[in-house]
Amino acid sequence: MNVASTVLDIAKRPPKPAVPRRPGRSPTWLGPVAVLLPTLAVLAVQAVNIGGWPIANDDEGTYLSQAWAVQHGHGLAHYTYWYDHPPLGWLQIAMMSWLPGLFASSAHVLTASLRVVMLPVTAASCLLLYLLARRLGLPRWAGSLAVLLFGLSPLSVSLQREVLLDNFAVLWILAAMVLCASPRRDLWQHTAAGVAAGVAVLSKETIIVLLPALALLLWQRSHPSTRKFSLAGAASGFTLILALYPLYALLKNELLPGHGHVSLWGGLKFQMSRAGGGSLLSPGSANRQMLDSWLYYDKVLLLGGLVAALLLLARRPMRPIALAVALLALTAIRPGYLPSMFVIQALPFLALALAGVAERVVTLVQRAVTPVGRVMPAARQPLRLAAVALVGLLATGLVAPHWYHGDRIAVTAHANDGYDRAAQWLRTHISDPAHAQVAVDDVLWMDLVRDGLRPGIGAIWFYKLDLDPAVAGLLPHGWQDLDYIVSSPTVRQPSNTRLTTVQTALAHSTVVASFGSGTDLIEIRQIVTLPATEGP
Amino acid sequence: MFLFAMAFGTLWWMMYAWRTPENLAETRFTEPDGTQGLFFSLLVPARHEQAVLAHTVGRLLESRYSDYEVLVIVGHDDPGTTAVAQEVAARHPERVRVVVDTHEVKSKPKALNTALPYCRGEVVGVFDAEDQVHPSLLGHVDHAFRSTDVAVVQGGVQLINFTSSWYSLRNCMEYFFWFRSRLHLHARHGFIPLGGNTVFVRSRVLRDIGGWDPDCLAEDCDLGVRLSSAGARVVVAYDADMVTREETPDSLYGLLKQRTRWNQGFLQVYRKREWTRLPTLNQRLLARWTLGNPFLQAFAGLVIPLGIALALLAEVPVGIALISFAPLLPALVTVAFEAVGLHDFGVQYGMRVRSWHYVKLVLGSPFYQMVLSAAAMRAVWREMRGQHGWELTHHVGAHLNEPDIRVPCEVRSEG
Repeated sequence: MNVASTVLDIAKRPPKPAVPRRPGRSPTWLGPVAVLLPTLAVLAVQAVNIGGWPIANDDEGTYLSQAWAVQHGHGLAHYTYWYDHPPLGWLQIAMMSWLPGLFASSAHVLTASLRVVMLPVTAASCLLLYLLARRLGLPRWAGSLAVLLFGLSPLSVSLQREVLLDNFAVLWILAAMVLCASPRRDLWQHTAAGVAAGVAVLSKETIIVLLPALALLLWQRSHPSTRKFSLAGAASGFTLILALYPLYALLKNELLPGHGHVSLWGGLKFQMSRAGGGSLLSPGSANRQMLDSWLYYDKVLLLGGLVAALLLLARRPMRPIALAVALLALTAIRPGYLPSMFVIQALPFLALALAGVAERVVTLVQRAVTPVGRVMPAARQPLRLAAVALVGLLATGLVAPHWYHGDRIAVTAHANDGYDRAAQWLRTHISDPAHAQVAVDDVLWMDLVRDGLRPGIGAIWFYKLDLDPAVAGLLPHGWQDLDYIVSSPTVRQPSNTRLTTVQTALAHSTVVASFGSGTDLIEIRQIVTLPATEGP
Repeated sequence: MFLFAMAFGTLWWMMYAWRTPENLAETRFTEPDGTQGLFFSLLVPARHEQAVLAHTVGRLLESRYSDYEVLVIVGHDDPGTTAVAQEVAARHPERVRVVVDTHEVKSKPKALNTALPYCRGEVVGVFDAEDQVHPSLLGHVDHAFRSTDVAVVQGGVQLINFTSSWYSLRNCMEYFFWFRSRLHLHARHGFIPLGGNTVFVRSRVLRDIGGWDPDCLAEDCDLGVRLSSAGARVVVAYDADMVTREETPDSLYGLLKQRTRWNQGFLQVYRKREWTRLPTLNQRLLARWTLGNPFLQAFAGLVIPLGIALALLAEVPVGIALISFAPLLPALVTVAFEAVGLHDFGVQYGMRVRSWHYVKLVLGSPFYQMVLSAAAMRAVWREMRGQHGWELTHHVGAHLNEPDIRVPCEVRSEG
């Protein structure tokens, strides 16, 4: 056609300007190696003996049981879901629940062997952390260093192995930051950052304290001409994802408290009113003990990272990271309730801050030797390498002995022996699992269900005996309907003395098997029923 | 899920210009070099527009460009407008000519075709009778033609009277997002439904392709589709200082009629299947989506109230109910971006946007969607019944009272 011939030959759209390649750029394989090697090292240390250390935690059992409920179509929990936490964390666990089947062994209590699901979470967090380091302008070696600090600290090894919601929240907040720092300054990446931040908060609500740091990063990384839209995109992405939670409650008519049902408002009120642990600064307070237990595992990352973050507040590119550490530190210092896993949310930023300071030190040393390099050009490159090596040696000397000790325990200790053996005992001694009723803590619940006890009413979370009217309704004779109650450190916690049914059951039972000693003691107690005439 | 995809797709395309700072920078005119190369023939079809015509032509004559002529096209049955046109022509015989369209049934494309043989310029530009054109526009368009060697330059058009009514606010925003953003996406992907005015085409290309389709209700869209299918390159340039300012229809019914006409025009273009000759699958999909939008919108207009009724009245599991809210998410993000767009609009045009306007923008959203859906359904209905009559949009000059085009660009373009 005529027109085609007149206009088709017009030059095509001009090509996009290519990113200029600096002369002497290092080879392309260096990037992947710089992130994969440290990630693999982290995975190796975290995977070995993952079920043996640390001791299985009641919270892990809770989230895994709830993930089990989701996976088996029982809703968001195997008991009434009461809005204690937003459910996105264990929804993610449920999505990965095919994974443990590939690796789990019967050597450990099920809750501990299901920890395999945390390895991909750690791996993804490592990759995102490296990417974030690079996008903040750190060199490759500093990115690798951040990954190693993040994943190999004995504190990290013990906490990242555990099936805790905070690890999921960290993964998503890192994703949000990586998206905010995108060099393309793409509106949709910024909107996706808001969505990722929303997912992070719905995974673990406490991560919300990091929002100002995220906002600062987005402000710094967006272009003035499109910033308004980027902020609106991120804010609406965040708000809308978050709004799904109250919307869910609203649709279930559980948004506000009312007679005979749980509510989101009630759940929030419970979390906000949890008894405070006292000031970190006053010795002997619960919060101080918490801090001491963190410091027992690792002082380098915690204290070193904190100091590094304060130093980096002065450097614009690293300021959002420094702000993140500062926000978390301030939250921890206030005298309110401090969950033991709270420190998880700080680990990547502490690692990044340390790596950032290391990069500054190396740069300064390199600058200091530059005059020498000018006089003797041949010595320039060796001097620079020597500077990096010196800093590296100093750091390793400082960290390695402490970490080696902690990580060696992590890969060799058998902290879950008691639980492992208790689970095995129950498996072999409950003769009629389909009709048995056993009260256990959350750690052992999954094993009982696997052994064939009825979820919820055969295998019973001990505190539901007193706290869930639905469970009490299914036990017409109260504690006398139980066959066994397992007394574990969780059950013996001082706060549980108010659970009268549990206390009565413990009082009317005899020990038939016991494992471990001291505070770790686990007793399997058979209920001794009274003659029927005495009545309840 | 379909509604979600639809809302999400619309949002994605709507935000094209702001996607990256580079995209945004590309959407502006490049600064002219001060030389002039092309001769322009500017067509101004006018029908019953004696109230605004003299002002419009007056603005065109204020252009700082020297090589151009203005052809006012009037109907033989419209003595009022003809008188105004001839009066202007008599005052500026070297610039302005009047062309009389004698078709029994009048339409804009017929009027434009009538004038095409009289055009002496290398480039034909089209304006509406109520347009306010910036004096520096022709210089910028000339530069755009010469520096890129494209076949078509589409300038920005902006409804400006956002304070007139609740729907004018939304209508202005619709234009803002369309010309500021969406058209650039179309230009880049090689499928563009052109706007009805401030569009400039090389006369040679226009004549080769046979001018406008006289029977199409969206002759501008049709021209764009035919040119795209022939592989013509188009640049779109939006510059707040340089846009052609227009007013919204003066009544809601007027808006409904105007939108019905456009939608019906889109359906006609769709049915002509010229777009199937576009070279790539992506272009054809974009064409199918864009031209079929009246259908989709009519469908959404029927389904959304049904869905809301179902969600409220029927007992559905919580999971299903949550999923049924999914299309609302992109819709709400759209509203958020529109609010930011309104702020940007206020900044760019130096107009004071009050918090009340943001409230109106948000609250008006569902009702405006209902008007659009109604127009889409009306278009489908009229097209099925074979009603192809031209429903004219009336103009009263509401935009002429708005603050005038600002000075800085004049300083810049001469510096």
